[in-house]
Amino acid sequence: MSNPTWHSPEARRRLAKRHASERRFKAMGLGAIVLSVAFLALLLVIMLKNGLGGLDWSFLSGADSTSPDIAGVWGAAKGSLLTMLVTLLIAFPMGVLAAIYLEEFAPKNKWVDIVEVSINNLAAVPSIIFGLLGLAVFINTLHLPRSSPMVGGLTLALMTMPVIVISGRNAIKAVPPSIREAAYGIGASKVQTTFHHVLPLALPGILTGTIIGMARALGETAPLLMIGMRAFVATPPGGVTDPSSVLPMQIFLWSDEIDKGFVQNTSAAIIVLLVFLLAMNGLAIYLRNKFEVRW
Amino acid sequence: MILTGILLAVVGLGLIGWFVGRGRARLLYHGRGSMHSMPNYHGWHLALWIVVPALVVWAVWSGIQPGLVEGALLADPAAAALPDNAMHRSAIISQAYLLASDPGAAVFASEAQALAAPLRAIITRFSLIGALLVTIVAFTGSAYGFTRIRARFEARTQVERVVMGVLLLASLMAILTTFGIVASLVFEAGLFFKDVSPIAFLTGTHWSPGNAMGADIDENFGAVPLFWGTIYIGAIIAMAVAIPLGLMSAVYLTQYASRRVRKWLKPILEILAGIPTVVYGYFAALTVAPMIRDFAASMGANNPSTESALAAGLVMGVMIIPFVSSMADDALAAVPRAMSDGSLALGATRSETIKKVLLPAALPGIVAGVMLAISRAIGETMIVVMAAGAAANLSANPLDSMTTVTFQIVQLLTGDQEFNSPKTLSAFALGLILFIVTLVLNIIALRVVKRFREAYE
Repeated sequence: MSNPTWHSPEARRRLAKRHASERRFKAMGLGAIVLSVAFLALLLVIMLKNGLGGLDWSFLSGADSTSPDIAGVWGAAKGSLLTMLVTLLIAFPMGVLAAIYLEEFAPKNKWVDIVEVSINNLAAVPSIIFGLLGLAVFINTLHLPRSSPMVGGLTLALMTMPVIVISGRNAIKAVPPSIREAAYGIGASKVQTTFHHVLPLALPGILTGTIIGMARALGETAPLLMIGMRAFVATPPGGVTDPSSVLPMQIFLWSDEIDKGFVQNTSAAIIVLLVFLLAMNGLAIYLRNKFEVRW
Repeated sequence: MILTGILLAVVGLGLIGWFVGRGRARLLYHGRGSMHSMPNYHGWHLALWIVVPALVVWAVWSGIQPGLVEGALLADPAAAALPDNAMHRSAIISQAYLLASDPGAAVFASEAQALAAPLRAIITRFSLIGALLVTIVAFTGSAYGFTRIRARFEARTQVERVVMGVLLLASLMAILTTFGIVASLVFEAGLFFKDVSPIAFLTGTHWSPGNAMGADIDENFGAVPLFWGTIYIGAIIAMAVAIPLGLMSAVYLTQYASRRVRKWLKPILEILAGIPTVVYGYFAALTVAPMIRDFAASMGANNPSTESALAAGLVMGVMIIPFVSSMADDALAAVPRAMSDGSLALGATRSETIKKVLLPAALPGIVAGVMLAISRAIGETMIVVMAAGAAANLSANPLDSMTTVTFQIVQLLTGDQEFNSPKTLSAFALGLILFIVTLVLNIIALRVVKRFREAYE
């Protein structure tokens, strides 16, 4: 087994060089991750440093104002809440029903292919394009009230629906055929099988996808800029047709203010928004871990 | 008001119908022992017969009632005093509507006061007629549905047919949305290209829609600086950050990290993708841009701008890292285990295996991932709005202020201007270009990914 060339000084040098390059490569990989995580940490630390001082009860319960000391985030938060409610009420049922149809009932033909392609593409269309759609259709054609949570919610619903359809299809696909066959075996119809057996089993997966889609919609600003949700609104909206702002829009508006006091407000509003998003994503992960069944 | 009330009444009636239908079917079931459908389905069948026709009539009536009210109002003697001037007249009428719905409303046209009372009476009259129609249809439907409850009646088949229709409609929403996007963009952009020649728009190098007027309108709508800014920020600077960092993180996570490290690091990395873009934009404007400006000043640049392409591109690149990383992750995972095992068995080190075997084998998947990342970067709005600036510069200096397609869309459509000016319409033309480019990138990328997966399966 002893090949003399393996122990020659030259071979050892070459091996050492290769091992050094191996270590360098591994360090580069670790470095890339550390750099990314460090950027995240820097961002969070700066927001916390600037914003924590501004987080008090009057900030959390007040509405927007021209003075940074009395401006609060509740008006925008309520706008976000109403907008998300509209989005959820439209995107969730539509998305789930479409996913069920495409996964369980759709025949294999050209029309269904077109539906699939358009759903996959919609999921990748830039959000600002949905804003242009909302502006052209909901505001200029249907004359729905400008800057209202209703129009914002409708626009975001169109954007969120493809996400829910795609995650819903994956969840439905993961339900094993044996479940369906057992249901058919005792005489259930196709609709009964789907709604009584497949859907409940797929629901945790669908909910996880829905929450992730809703979290994305909650942080979205660009499409709402298009439909005019950047107005200065000093009172929290009373309903879905009142003019209102949303949390990310409030951040954007405050970031434009020259007054130094708004730097603190902006960062504090960012903390509020991030807490919401973290809570939603945490809930999604919890749901996935708790209810997901590995077949 | 009355029409909203009748809607609730119809739904309530439907609920009652559900219980009645089910109860009746249960009685039959007890009498005979064998039926085609379960009692619940008879309940649903009856409820649908009550609610659906009534809702259709309700929707039709809500559509035609305003026209009928308007006609009756103009025929009313009180309307004879209205001025002939069409604009003045419609102003008074709309004030009267306001008064009719809310007697305390403040109005400036005194004629409206006289119209309000008859108008209210007319609205009430037509609403009552509508309510009566809806009620009649609901009861007719319920009577018909009720007579169908028989042991042999296939209620389940009927109900399931309706369910299938609803499912089909929901899945057509996606096509409708796509169609809506294409139609609205093409229509508005078409109006724009009536005023401005498409060639000037696509090849001109001067962009200042603010002073676009009259004969030289073509000169001011040259979008090349915007396309360049978009490509420079989204496809060059951002990718220079995101590709190496994302790719190396994916390599480390899939090839080197232990299971436990991976379990912690991957979600942390994914937080980067979950942070809203407005937060990145604020961070870019507040921290990164001043840092870059100070750095440029210390390097001897005179009077560097706070808004630089570099700041926006860097932050955008960081935002894209998790996306590139997860795409690369998938591509690396799709390479068969045997290939890397073979390389390792021949004595190659891990890094040699990755560089010489894994990455080349995964290249198509990685390239597709990068294309998707570019399509996401060029559609990104908030970061460039907050950090990149409005000046349409055609420059290769990353420290210059540059503008992008998305920035200009926001700029053109916020603020007050009349809707059909070329300035506003140009935003839709830009949107159309953006839509087409991202669509093409996505379609190619998805096709590459598909073919790549098939190659190894």
